[in-house]
This record gives sequence, C-alpha cells and structure tokens, in this order.
Amino acid sequence: MSNKPEGRPDERVTLKARKVSFSWEGTPLHWVPGDPFATHTINVLHLLLPAGERWFVHVYRQVLPYIRDERLREDVIGFIGQEAMHSQAHDEVLPHLREQGLDPTPYTAQVDWFFEKLLGDRTLPPGRARRWWLMERVALIAAIEHYTAFLGDWVLNAEELDRRGADPTMLDLLRWHGAEEVEHRSVAFDLFTHLDGGYRRRVRTWATAFAALVFLWQRGTRFFMENDPTLTDGRASFKDFYVRGRRGTLPATGDLLRSVPRYLSRAYHPSREGSTEQAVAYLASSPAALAAEEGAS
Amino acid sequence: MTPKPLTAVAVAGAALLVRRALRRRIRVSPLWPMPALAEPVSGRPRSRALRLLVTARHEIAEGVVRLRLEGRDLPRWEPGAHLDLVLPSGLVRQYSLCGDPRDTSSYTVATRLVTDGRGGSREVHEQVREGMEVEVRGPRNRFPLVEAPSYVFVAGGIGITPILPMLRALPEGAEWRLLYAGRTRASMPFLEEVEKLGGENRGRVTVVEGRPGLDALLMNLPEGAAVYCCGPEGLMAAVQERVPHVRVERFAARTVRDGDPFEVELRRTGRVVTVAADSTVLAAVRAELPNTLYSCEQGFCGTCQQRVLAGEVEHRDELLTDAERDDSMLICVSRARSERLVLDM
Repeated sequence: MSNKPEGRPDERVTLKARKVSFSWEGTPLHWVPGDPFATHTINVLHLLLPAGERWFVHVYRQVLPYIRDERLREDVIGFIGQEAMHSQAHDEVLPHLREQGLDPTPYTAQVDWFFEKLLGDRTLPPGRARRWWLMERVALIAAIEHYTAFLGDWVLNAEELDRRGADPTMLDLLRWHGAEEVEHRSVAFDLFTHLDGGYRRRVRTWATAFAALVFLWQRGTRFFMENDPTLTDGRASFKDFYVRGRRGTLPATGDLLRSVPRYLSRAYHPSREGSTEQAVAYLASSPAALAAEEGAS
Repeated sequence: MTPKPLTAVAVAGAALLVRRALRRRIRVSPLWPMPALAEPVSGRPRSRALRLLVTARHEIAEGVVRLRLEGRDLPRWEPGAHLDLVLPSGLVRQYSLCGDPRDTSSYTVATRLVTDGRGGSREVHEQVREGMEVEVRGPRNRFPLVEAPSYVFVAGGIGITPILPMLRALPEGAEWRLLYAGRTRASMPFLEEVEKLGGENRGRVTVVEGRPGLDALLMNLPEGAAVYCCGPEGLMAAVQERVPHVRVERFAARTVRDGDPFEVELRRTGRVVTVAADSTVLAAVRAELPNTLYSCEQGFCGTCQQRVLAGEVEHRDELLTDAERDDSMLICVSRARSERLVLDM
C-alpha cells in the first residue's frame, strides 16, 4: 500500500525551528576563494529559497485540515516552522550581496512572481478543481524536497569546500540548512503519500519540478556571472558545472542524474537518502545552532 | 520509417535559426521572458544581524555603563528606538538608543547593572569590553515621538535613555517638561546634559532624588499633551494611574509564561478562550484549533503570527517589525495588555 512507506527506520526526531543568526559583514563576494562560478552557483539558493520556502509554508497551511494522522500533522507543523526560519536566514544574505555591488532584485522579483502568482492560489471553484491544484502543489513540493535533501546531504559531505577555504559563516548557513533539510526530508513525501500518492502525479510533478529547477538555476548562475562587478567577462556553461562536480566544489553531475531514477522508483522513500544521524550530529556542533541552544536555555 | 534527408536538413536549419534568435533575444534582455512581481518580497529581511565593535565603554554614573558600538552604514533610527543586543551567552536584551540618530557609523546604548535581575545587565557590565564584537538586531521603535502641542516626560533612572534623544529632537521653542527621578544624583546618567537641555526655562526640568510627587506635574496637563514615561515598573504604574493614555516603554521580562490572565476571542471560529496567568495564547488556542501553526515557541520564527482585530498587545517577540506589530502578534509569547484580545482565527 502506498500509504505505508516501507523502510522507515525508527529514527524519528521532533522537528523544531532552531534560532540561528548569521552576520555577513566578514563574508567576501567570492566566498569560495578564486572560484566565482562555484560561489554563484551556490548563491542561486539565496535567490530561490526565500520565495520558494514561503510558498511551501503557504501551501502547507492550506493542507493541514486534510491531514488525518496526528503524528504527520505534528511533523508538517514542525516542517513549516523550519522552512520559515530557512527563508528568513537566506533573505538576510541578499542585502549583503547588494552592498557588494551585485543587486539580485531583478531576478528575485521574477522568482517572487513565479511562486506567488504562477504557483499561487488560482481563482478556482471550490471542490475538485481547487483540491486538484492543491494536491498538484503538494506533489511538487515532495519532488523539490527530494532535491533539497540531496543538496543538503551533498553540502554536509562537501569537504572540498573546507579544503579550499570557503567562508565559514556561509558554510555554516548552508550546512545548518542542509542538515535540517535532511532531518525533515521524509515529511513532504509522507504528506504526499498520505493525501494522494498517485504514481502518475509523482512522475508528472517530478518532471515539472526538475525542469523548473534546471531552468531557474542555470538562469540564476548566468545572472550572477554576468552582473558580478568584479568579472569583466562572466560566463556560465554546463562544462564549468561538470568540472566543479568532478572537483567536489559542486554536486557531481553523475550523482545528480543517478538521483532521478531513485525518486521515480515505486519503492522510493526519502528515509533511505542521506543520514539523519549525520544531520543531527552537525546541528549539535553548528556554531549558529549552538548559539541558538545557549540562547534558549 | 526514416525521415527524408531534405526534411532532416530543414528541421536542423529551423532549430539553428530558433536558437540564434533566442540567444539574441536573451542577450538584449537577459531576464526575458519571465515577468516580475510588481512589489518584490524577497531580500527584504525584517531585521538583519549586525556585528558591531565596542569602541568605548565608560561608566557615566554609579552602576551605569555607556557603550559605543561601531559599524558601517547602520540603519537609521528615530528617537525612542531600541536595539536588540545578543550577548555572548546568547541572551537577547533590549537597550534604548541614546546617541545621535544622524550618526550612521555608531550606536550608543547605556545600561544599569541590576544585581538581582535576569542576568543580562550583569553580563554587559562584567563581560563586554572595548575591542569586543557584539551582535545586534534592529533598531526598532515601539516608543515613537508623536507630534503634539506639548510634551510631558517622566523618566526614572536609566529610563532617561529613550527620552534623551527625544528632548534633543524636539524643535526649538517646543513646549515640554521633564520630571527626572533617581535614587541619588550620582546614580542618574546624562544629568548634566538634561539640565542643559532645559536651558534658561526654569521649571522645565525637575530633578528629584527619591520618590517623586507626580500630582503637581500630571494633574493639570495642557490640552492634547503627549505624556511619555520610562522607568521602574512602580513609577510607570503610578503615572498610568493618573494618565491612562501615557506612552510607556517597558522592557518586559521575556519569559513566556508570566502575566495576568485574559480572554481571547477567536472571531472567525466564534469562540472565546481564557489564557491563564501561567499559560500562553498559543496553548489556549491550540486546545480549540489543533491546526494552529507554531514552531519555536520563543517568539523568533514567526510561524504563529496571527492578525489582531481588537485589543492591546504586549509584544514579547523578537521578530515582528513595528508596522507588523500594529495589527498582528506572535501568539506563542506575546500577551494582552487589555482584558480581551480579538484574533482573526
């Protein structure tokens, strides 16, 4: 039965927003030293996530009344809290980029349009049509969360970034976020299976989400490379991405492609991707999350 | 069936042409063809964490330390505003800004050591030193200076800090009076400057050692006078008793469960719940509406924000902007100042 995800080990953690705080004064524009392309490819996260995660929260608020499982309801509420914090934390990076001469507003205004209008609440008659659009978006979020968990797992293990002296504050933001994505990676998929779980819908929304992510991401990288005030001839190409994937400063193209059939497999469950243990271990040592714990006590 | 060579060439040629046209189009306007949201939302955080350098630390009165925090391009502020200071232990405390609002390279705050307090002031006095970096958020203003025909200020001790920039900002010739009370003259910060601001006009500034008599000042208020008070809880209560519309600045203990009981009406649901003195609005509401969103339960994540339709809120969160506070609250920590709140739930 699709409602009972198999292989869900007993590693349930209570999802809670952690209070984190990052100050960006000391972070250079190219925070992966000497590698603007890798820097900007990862920077695209700051463009997509504030609007995207606000949209997740917006959709899930509407979904809550449909949930009939108390444990899942708690998880979804915890998920919403964590996503709200993520969106706030990434939002704070954008003014810092602006101060360094790289104004992201032309791009983020479009991302805002994408999530608020194109994927927003449409004027639909209540009943089947409205529910269909809601379920479609729930499935889209499940597909996107497959990739956020993939990226979270990648960044937790991206030791090459440390070796190259990447900015510690930025790495902490990415790893705190990545670890929480790994921590709550099952929620979106469990919610989708609980409410609908249709295989055709899963494939359809995966294709949409994957295409949209690739489109927005390459566009964001190009935008940053072309508008970077320190680069005279900033360009972005797929080859740049492939090379850095081999090097380990960006996700490897092969890993990215291999994650596709995993999500499309009928036996897929996110609990088999990444490791909760590693995520929780990072959160226990993250400078930002640590400061949050102390502040709370 | 294999395609005819001519068709293949035509298709390939058409594809090449389309690609060239697209590339040219994108070169002209790189962000073509997506529309933008008229009023962008992203990249406008409610407040940003700033790391500022402590460049001066002076004891300006008995038990009162003034800190100068330097940074670059600091956000502007208006008299009455305060700063959230994140102390080395992670504690967050609010301090009124008492420097020059036009100075965008530094903030000035002053704090009194409260030995039996909640530990914030002790930490500032014992651990914050010159050359150290501290993290701040804000500034925020919930004690703004309004336009009025005349002003009456009542300050108790360290409560002078938000009022001082107001006195400096009032236009010359404005009608104002100040009652400044403290234990002893030596323990009252900024005394000299305050007396100088009073100028030639005798009776404008009254300095009292010990408990002040309020009746003379507050019983015959001029028509339309704006009354401001900041100081110990007892002083603010006494002023509030005589002038109910007084504006007070209160740095409430940020404990979640602590206060008076009150009622919350859930307008859309049509129900009324009671919040006990040792409970929260969130707990009371969740008993009725289990789908209510919340997460951190400490007033920083913003998940539980709700619209307030009526009633006066005592905001205890660390997140909402002044504009948001006008008509919404975080129900996990904030409480009512009036007997009843009406929420849009």
